[in-house]
Amino acid sequence: MTTESTTVPAFCAAHLLDSWDERNPQRAFAELAGQSVPSRQDGTLVVAGREELREFLRHPAVRATDGVHHNLGAPRPLIPLDLDGDAHRKYRKLLDPLFTPKRVAALEPVIRARANTLIDEFADNGEAELLSAFCAPLPGQIFIDLLGLPLEDLPFFVDFKEAVVRPQGTTVEEQQANMRAVGDRMHDYLVRTLDERRREPARDDLIGGFLTVEVDGERLTDTEIVDICYLLVIAGLDTVTCSLSCMLAWFAERPSERRRVMSDRALLAPAIEELMRFESPVPLGHRWVTEDIEVAGRLFPAGSKVEVVWAAANVDQDVFADPLVVDFERPHNAHVAFAAGPHRCLGSNLARLELRVALDQFHRRIPEYEIAPGREATYINYGVRAAVHLPITFPVG
Amino acid sequence: MRAVIDPLLCQGHAQCVLNLPELFALDDNDSHGYVLLDPVPHELAEQARWIVGSCPERAISLTD
Repeated sequence: MTTESTTVPAFCAAHLLDSWDERNPQRAFAELAGQSVPSRQDGTLVVAGREELREFLRHPAVRATDGVHHNLGAPRPLIPLDLDGDAHRKYRKLLDPLFTPKRVAALEPVIRARANTLIDEFADNGEAELLSAFCAPLPGQIFIDLLGLPLEDLPFFVDFKEAVVRPQGTTVEEQQANMRAVGDRMHDYLVRTLDERRREPARDDLIGGFLTVEVDGERLTDTEIVDICYLLVIAGLDTVTCSLSCMLAWFAERPSERRRVMSDRALLAPAIEELMRFESPVPLGHRWVTEDIEVAGRLFPAGSKVEVVWAAANVDQDVFADPLVVDFERPHNAHVAFAAGPHRCLGSNLARLELRVALDQFHRRIPEYEIAPGREATYINYGVRAAVHLPITFPVG
Repeated sequence: MRAVIDPLLCQGHAQCVLNLPELFALDDNDSHGYVLLDPVPHELAEQARWIVGSCPERAISLTD
């Protein structure tokens, strides 16, 4: 058997439009949302309109996987992302209570302290590269605290998620091989950790919870815990980093909006929701259709892999008035930046808390700042949207 | 007037809680929304009608 190498395709149908712009992709996403039958040239069906997306995702024949392909190059189904129906509900019943607003609220002082320590490192310098100095390390540290792992293991997790979210390689096969290699290393690390933790007294952290919790009267196996953690690492480390970088970049370039929010902190939570809508850091997800279905007058044949573009739905002018305008007082902000349907983001309340506390603390310490003169914030949109270069300057003392 | 959240449609987006915490809350077990006041007090009726359009899953309905 020969395997043909396949070049890596464009990450999103919006990327193929003439209006695509890495820095301001919202216009291209809005154009995609306005198309009556968005699809790719290779026939891949795309769901981009806000109403069609809602209807599509609630259909029981729309699944997270086809049982063969797993998200993010995982060797086995990711729990709960790659499961559907009763199996999915079983794990969500276990995991949802660990991420409720009340449960994650206990982390607020931890997040604030971690943020402060990071800011201490550059507060006297008058300049900083915010992605590497603040946005990247913070969620990772919080995640390590949450799992109950030593902080010195953080680089291992960061390398892992980077390799999975932005796989290296010029062909699909090369990318998959690289992802498998880092996946295997993560698997070994987690199995070793679970072994050690079983020999210690129980601790009140996520791993401690996984080791003692029961689903339908049975403990989780090592493999189940590894598969849950594998997803949590990817979901927890990258998305908040990227979201935070987008928001700080947005505020850096708009001092009057920034001052308005920081002088009226009640605006901070709605501002975060609105920037989640506008930036949509996770631009899309994929779903599989298990039988011929019709949604919003459109046929989705059995076996189709469908590209569901949250970022397009979030700027659909049929639902959001002036979708390209950021309006902190936007009524009916029914955005789907955390996805929608049964697989909606498990960690959204933790993400919201991290973003709110990080932005609040950052602006308490450094209220005035701007993009370093002569430079600009640069964005990538592949995988998750982020301001990957975010050089700022600010007055000191 | 009564507000009802369909538990099969609600996915815990929490827009109802963010916008009208007087009427909606999130379950401490699963982060899904539930209605705090039944029936909806008269003074919240207008906001309750408005909030229906804020639910990303259209899980909230109002009955007389």
